[in-house]
Amino acid sequence: MLDVNNITCRYGPVTALHDADFTLEGGEVLALVGTNGAGKSTLVMSIAGHIIPEHGNIVLDGEDITNIPPYQRASRGIGLVPEGRRLFPDLTVKENLITGGYVLPRTSESQRLEHVFEIFPRLYERANQLAGSLSGGEQQMLAFGRAIMLRPRVMLIDEISLGLMPSVIIECYAVLENLRSQNIAVILVDQNSDAALAFADKAIWLETGYVKWQGKAKHCPLLKESIVS
Amino acid sequence: MLAIEILIQGLIQGSIYALIALGLTLVYGLLRILHVAHASLFTLGGYLGVLITNATGSLFLALLLAMIIVGFVGMASYRILYYPILSRPPLIALIASIGIFIASEEVFRIIFGPFSISYISPPLQNQIDVFSGIMLSEARIMVVLLAFILLLGMNWLARQTRLGIATRASVVDPDMAMSSGVNVETIRYSIFFIGSAFAAAAGVMVSLLNNLVEPTMGAVPSYKALAIIVLGGLGSVRGALIASLMLGVIESFGTIYFGNLLDRDSLAFAFLILVLMIRPKGIFTKG
Repeated sequence: MLDVNNITCRYGPVTALHDADFTLEGGEVLALVGTNGAGKSTLVMSIAGHIIPEHGNIVLDGEDITNIPPYQRASRGIGLVPEGRRLFPDLTVKENLITGGYVLPRTSESQRLEHVFEIFPRLYERANQLAGSLSGGEQQMLAFGRAIMLRPRVMLIDEISLGLMPSVIIECYAVLENLRSQNIAVILVDQNSDAALAFADKAIWLETGYVKWQGKAKHCPLLKESIVS
Repeated sequence: MLAIEILIQGLIQGSIYALIALGLTLVYGLLRILHVAHASLFTLGGYLGVLITNATGSLFLALLLAMIIVGFVGMASYRILYYPILSRPPLIALIASIGIFIASEEVFRIIFGPFSISYISPPLQNQIDVFSGIMLSEARIMVVLLAFILLLGMNWLARQTRLGIATRASVVDPDMAMSSGVNVETIRYSIFFIGSAFAAAAGVMVSLLNNLVEPTMGAVPSYKALAIIVLGGLGSVRGALIASLMLGVIESFGTIYFGNLLDRDSLAFAFLILVLMIRPKGIFTKG
C-alpha cells in the first residue's frame, strides 16, 4: 500500500535522512527507533508532505505522492499525529475534529464525529471545551481523533507516549490496536522503543540519518540490547 | 450630555477603524505580513463608492459593488504582490507593500485626477434625533449599523462555518491545518477577499461622512490601522476590534481636551507608546 523508495532528505547543507526504503501493507505497524536526531521525525514529516525528499519517491496505492502538498495527502488518507500533538489550542475539541476532517465532504461529518466520540467518549464530554484546556492524555486522544476524522489509510504517529502517564500510554496502544484491526497502516515513533518494538510488525533503526538496521520488529537488536542490559 | 455626544462620535470613528483593522490583523495572523497596501484598497473603495453612486444614484449598489470589486483586487494583490515572495523574510513583503501603497496614491491621482471628488447629491444627510437632543446624520447611523452587521457576520463566519474554523486553525498552525486537509492557499484568498471588502466598506463610509474622496485619503488610516493591530496584540481579531473602538473614543475626547497640545492623528501614537511601555505585547495578548 505505502512504498517509500530510497528517500533522502536535507535541511540546507545537512542530510537528515539517507536512503530510507520500506513497504507497508494495510494493518501493518512499522516502528521507527533510534536516538534524538536520528531522522525519525524527518521520515514521518516527509511522508506527511512537510519535507520534500531530495531523492527517492513515496508511492501510495500505486500513485506517486512525493511532490503533492500535505492537504492532498490528507485527502488520500495520510493522517498525522505529530510530535507535541500540535492541536489548535484556541479551538474547541469539536472544532479541532472538524478541522481534522476538513478535506472530506461535510455530509459525512456527523457520522465521522460520532465514530471518533465512540472511540474516545471523553472527547464527547469535552466537545465544547477549548483544546488548550485539556489534560495531556486528553490532548493525545484529540490528536488521534483529529487524524481519524479524515478516515486514514496510513497513520503517522510521532512520539506517542512523550509526557504521558503510563495508564494513558496503555490507552494509546489500545487505540493503535483498533487502527490495526481496521486495516490501517501505522508508522510509529516512541521514545520508549521497547514498547514500540513489542507492538510493531516491522522496525527501522535509524542513527544520525542512516538506516542502521531494518527487519522484523521482534528481531531488532535494540530490543535484545535492552533485554540483555 | 456633551460627554455622551463625544463618546458616540468616538464609537463611530472606532467602527471605521475596526473595519479597516480587521483585514490587516487577519492578514498578519495568516502570513505574518504587515499589509500596509491594505489602505490603498480603502481608498479604492471610497472612489468606487462615490463614482458608482454618482453614476447610478444608488448608494446601496455602490457599497455592494465596491466591496465585491475591491475584494477581488485584494485577492489579486495577494497573488501578484505577496505570493511570489512568501518564502522571503517578512521585511521584504513589508517593503513591497509600502512601495505598492505609495505607488497606488499616484495611480489614483492619474486615473481620478489630483483633486477631490464629491457626491453630486450626498445621500443620507438628514439629521435624526437619536437620544434626547443628540442629533446624528443618517450617514453616521449607517456607519455604526454597517460595521455592526459586518463584524457580526464575520464572527458568525469564524465560529459557525467550516471555512471559519479552518481559518482559525490555519492562523495557529498552518502546517498542521494542511495535514488535516485544509488547503491553506484557499484560506488566504478568502481572507484577502473578506478583509479587502471590509476596507472598501470603510472607504465608502468615510467618503460619505466627509463627502469627498482624494488620492491620499488612505495615508492616515494606513498608519493608524498598524497602531491598532499592534495595540490589540498582532493577529488578534478581538484585540483589534476593541483597540479600534478605544482609539476612536480616545481620539474623540483627546481632540476636545488636548486638542491644543496634540494633533488628533498623533494621539494614536502617543497612546500606542504609552500602552507598549506597560504591555509590550499589546493590550490583549496573554502573557
